[in-house]
Amino acid sequence: MPIITVEHLSKHFKVHKRRTGFWGNLSSTVSRKHDIIKAVNDVNFSLDRGELVGYIGANGAGKSTTIKMLTGILVPTSGHIDVMGLTPYRHRKENTRRIGVVFGQRTQLWWDLPVIDSFELLKHIYEIPQNLYKQNLEFFSELLQLQPFLSTPVRRLSLGQRMRCDLTAALLHNPEILYLDEPTIGLDVVAKEQVRQFLRQVNAERQVTVILTTHDLNDVEKVCQRLIIIDNGKIIYDGGIDALKKRYGKTRMLIVDLAQAYPDIQLEGVDLTRRDGNRIWLAFDRDTISASEVIVQLTARYEIQDLTISEPEIEEIVRRIYELGVH
Amino acid sequence: MMKKYIIFTVKAFQRTLTYRFELWMELFINVLFMLVYVYLWKALYTGRTSVEGYNLNGILTYIVVSQTLLTFTFTLRIARIIEEKVRTGEVVTDLMKPIDFQLMTFATAAGTSSHTALFNMLPKFLLFYGTFGLSLPPSLLTLSLFIVSVVLGYVILFSIEFIIGIFAFWFVEIRGLYAFVIWGLAMLFSGYFLPLEFYPAFLAKVAVVLPFRAIIYFPTAIYTGQLMGESLITALLIQLVWVVTLVGLGRLAYRAAFRKLVIQGG
Repeated sequence: MPIITVEHLSKHFKVHKRRTGFWGNLSSTVSRKHDIIKAVNDVNFSLDRGELVGYIGANGAGKSTTIKMLTGILVPTSGHIDVMGLTPYRHRKENTRRIGVVFGQRTQLWWDLPVIDSFELLKHIYEIPQNLYKQNLEFFSELLQLQPFLSTPVRRLSLGQRMRCDLTAALLHNPEILYLDEPTIGLDVVAKEQVRQFLRQVNAERQVTVILTTHDLNDVEKVCQRLIIIDNGKIIYDGGIDALKKRYGKTRMLIVDLAQAYPDIQLEGVDLTRRDGNRIWLAFDRDTISASEVIVQLTARYEIQDLTISEPEIEEIVRRIYELGVH
Repeated sequence: MMKKYIIFTVKAFQRTLTYRFELWMELFINVLFMLVYVYLWKALYTGRTSVEGYNLNGILTYIVVSQTLLTFTFTLRIARIIEEKVRTGEVVTDLMKPIDFQLMTFATAAGTSSHTALFNMLPKFLLFYGTFGLSLPPSLLTLSLFIVSVVLGYVILFSIEFIIGIFAFWFVEIRGLYAFVIWGLAMLFSGYFLPLEFYPAFLAKVAVVLPFRAIIYFPTAIYTGQLMGESLITALLIQLVWVVTLVGLGRLAYRAAFRKLVIQGG
């Protein structure tokens, strides 16, 4: 019995077209034309209790819109959502009691008050019994090392500290589902790793179902068992992370600054995907050719000033899924 | 059930404590303004004993009480707070909690205002009361009814601000509307500047159909004994009717706004 079921879910927005200029403005106020944007377009998936799923896509792909519908603050244009047996937008309050939400870009803590005060406020909002509250607070402060700044006003916390507090705030009432919208955005490498490890632990030990939207492929690689990729409102991949990496993740990108703009570049086992002046982007499959072999070929034929190797980005994988198809 | 809202009041009260310097400056400026008003009225009353039923002591009491109550209208800013929450999208965080948005907003406002009442309004009033020998309400019962009336007036102002704030869901920018209703209409017809008895007949007639006189004029006139017996009861009833109407309108506006938010996206 899945904890979340989404069937043929769509969300269309009307966007008013504004005409420019004085007369344009005037006529816009009289008769407005609009475009329909299909932010989410016939999406289907289901999640089992205890899953840890990465929901990824580029900006404007429909990630946040889906999360908002799942949390009940957005009504679908069509389709069906079942979260723990509830229809989120019809049972908003009941649904919110049983979920936790973290937005990387904003905090639910009170800016001017010590962290602990916001936690106490949440204790009352969610009517958490005192012993459970104490137990959870101890558990999370130890795990996330919150003790040193529990009585510091939120505005004086670093972004990493604040995120740790926000994670605690979202979990104090033992939610069954945790939604995270870009939880690692803006964090440094150490803080990111801390958040990832925490999510793995919470998921494993507390059986919290986690849905994580992110831009950062590392988040997904290190945390999620399953990956759903959305693009232009449609799901283009839903499956294990390993299967995806096996198929697309082997591609490496070599970015080379050449000494001059060679008109014609000939290399074996390598795709020239982009070029911009003296800079070229070379994609290669690390199973068929090693990076050093590519570099040897390059230096033999061209004069090189600088080069870097990069791991595939989400955008790159999405692009390749389009080109090569799924499965 | 109500406990979770009371905690909002408590935390909002605590939060206000973090801005002590600002509060002292506000109090200082308030006191200067009130002094100017008091001396203005003293000057206007030279050679007169009574105008429209107010003697000098009566008018000074009226001015000090109404000026003290006015502090609410300047410090509440609920509409602007909601506008800010809508603009930044912070309102989404509120909606993702098992709470009632209107009650939560009221509980928070009540916390901030309790602080204002305790640390700004009360000392300000006592200072002027002591310095200028003002009157107390005619009886203990009147004093209690005055407090009831202040609270009702406060809820009316809150509800008006709440409705204006909710307009931000449609228009995003509501500064113009806010300035017009709160700093324009509410100030003019609340009776903070003058007792409404002093108003020209046509303005007094307009004031009667609007809710604003229930914010400051009613409680102040109860305090000074201008409203007594039947007219006092009528005033309280009028306040009650406005409370019910405006709180109800606020709920309707909020529901419509929420529907708009959930349909259009935030």
